[in-house]
Amino acid sequence: MQSIIHIVLVVVQLALLLTLSPFVVGLIRKVKARLQCRRGASLFQPYADLAKLFRKQPVISSTTSWIFTAAPYIVFASTVAAGLLIPVFVSHTPLNFAGNIIALVYLLALGTFFLILAGLDAGSAFGGMGSSREAIVATLAEPAMMLSILSIALTAGSTNLSTIVHQSALMEGVVVAPPAHLMALAALFIVTLAETGRVPVDNPATHLELTMIHEAMLLEYSGRYLALMEWAAGIKLLVFLTLIVNVFAPWGIATSLAPSAIAVGLLVYLGKVAALAFVIGVIESMFAKLRLFRVPEMLGAAFILSLLALVFFYTLKG
Amino acid sequence: MSASTQLGSQLVDLCSVLLLLCCFAIVAQRRLSACVDLFALQSAFLAATAALVAFLTGHKHIYFAAALTIVIKVIVLPRILRKVIERLNVSRELGMNINIPAGLLICGALVIVAFFITQPIIPLGYLLTRDSLAIALAIILIGFFTMIARQKAITQMVGFLVMENGVFLGATAAAYGMPLIVELGVFFDVLVAGLIVGIYTHRLQDTFDSVDTSTLTVLKE
Repeated sequence: MQSIIHIVLVVVQLALLLTLSPFVVGLIRKVKARLQCRRGASLFQPYADLAKLFRKQPVISSTTSWIFTAAPYIVFASTVAAGLLIPVFVSHTPLNFAGNIIALVYLLALGTFFLILAGLDAGSAFGGMGSSREAIVATLAEPAMMLSILSIALTAGSTNLSTIVHQSALMEGVVVAPPAHLMALAALFIVTLAETGRVPVDNPATHLELTMIHEAMLLEYSGRYLALMEWAAGIKLLVFLTLIVNVFAPWGIATSLAPSAIAVGLLVYLGKVAALAFVIGVIESMFAKLRLFRVPEMLGAAFILSLLALVFFYTLKG
Repeated sequence: MSASTQLGSQLVDLCSVLLLLCCFAIVAQRRLSACVDLFALQSAFLAATAALVAFLTGHKHIYFAAALTIVIKVIVLPRILRKVIERLNVSRELGMNINIPAGLLICGALVIVAFFITQPIIPLGYLLTRDSLAIALAIILIGFFTMIARQKAITQMVGFLVMENGVFLGATAAAYGMPLIVELGVFFDVLVAGLIVGIYTHRLQDTFDSVDTSTLTVLKE
């Protein structure tokens, strides 16, 4: 019985990741449009885009190797696998035995690695440029991400995400967030903006190849390969948002498998993700894209913040 | 420690951490007006910390210091500095002695140094603000670093004021604030220093057509 519930939970989590991610992308676009006094496309436009791309015939450059066609599947699969490791609306995700935070970080890094290879593979100038930029951003974001996540893991005494989320969800009487948590949250938020190609680092809506990072690597893709890549990018965004809301604000997440707790957990989770997506939309409207040479400064600041989070953990006891 | 004092202690810690974050933002900031705004924000957090300590301990004179902080450091001094920036027509710092990522790393190291130095002292304290002492020392060091790393007279002044904020926080943390007469003297000093730097940058601008203090090390033009 228990195992059937677990399997159902995994399937529900998988379905949620797959179906919710285009909606989050659409929500951020809608928020940006409304802030610019435009009506904006429908919230469900990304679903229509994906459906259209899946129906189209892919065109593949004759100069590409097998990496080009394999990369979308690897990127998609690794991102989905990463998404299954994190608790979404139940604090004990059934697949938590499969990997901890470090596995999560490197599953995402595996996707980034193949994305970079795919950008280089077609041999176009813009793809190579996008790949080299993505490599810079990913290299600088990784230490900040690892340190901020490790400071959280130290507080919980475990690198298992389910244990971390479960413990902080059960914590009672703590009104003031510990300084270490705030620092780690700020660092992880900056990393999220960088890793998912949001505005201060990369502009997801740009049509100018010279300023592209993520889009430049996808320029050669079309049809279902492009759809997989775009979908994977949406899922990656959702994975980061889920990580932030559940690690730093685990209020309301289901700590047991009672149906009512799960229903509340699901609703609260949707609300929190929508709120965070709204915040990202507002940030994208408030700030201009940074010059590429300023990006290391921003990620350096994220690294310092996560370093301070570790220092504060030891000195201020959390 | 009872639950309410523990909560108060956590709140004081949180406020001091916000002060420290403002320091890092100042170090990372190129635009002069933003530096001044961040200093005003930091002073507002400082006033909040002082008011919180006053509320928790019942020392009435700290309320007075908090009010003075708001008047002088949140309103008057930033206004003087903004006016200077406006009149000098300098908006951003171009030449820096140390670039920003390296500066941030050095400041991170300074925080670790501050915590390392105060580590043996802090457990001896019994005040609920004692953890802030380490942060106060870190803020003083970062303010000092800002004065070294920046070349424009205005950002050097901001560095000086940040140091002063650190001293104030340290006094609050170590001894629930200084006697009122000392605090009044310090506030007056800071205000006069602000005015003097305002005049001094004007003189610099008149003489060298720039507010870069490194021109002062050259004997002849």
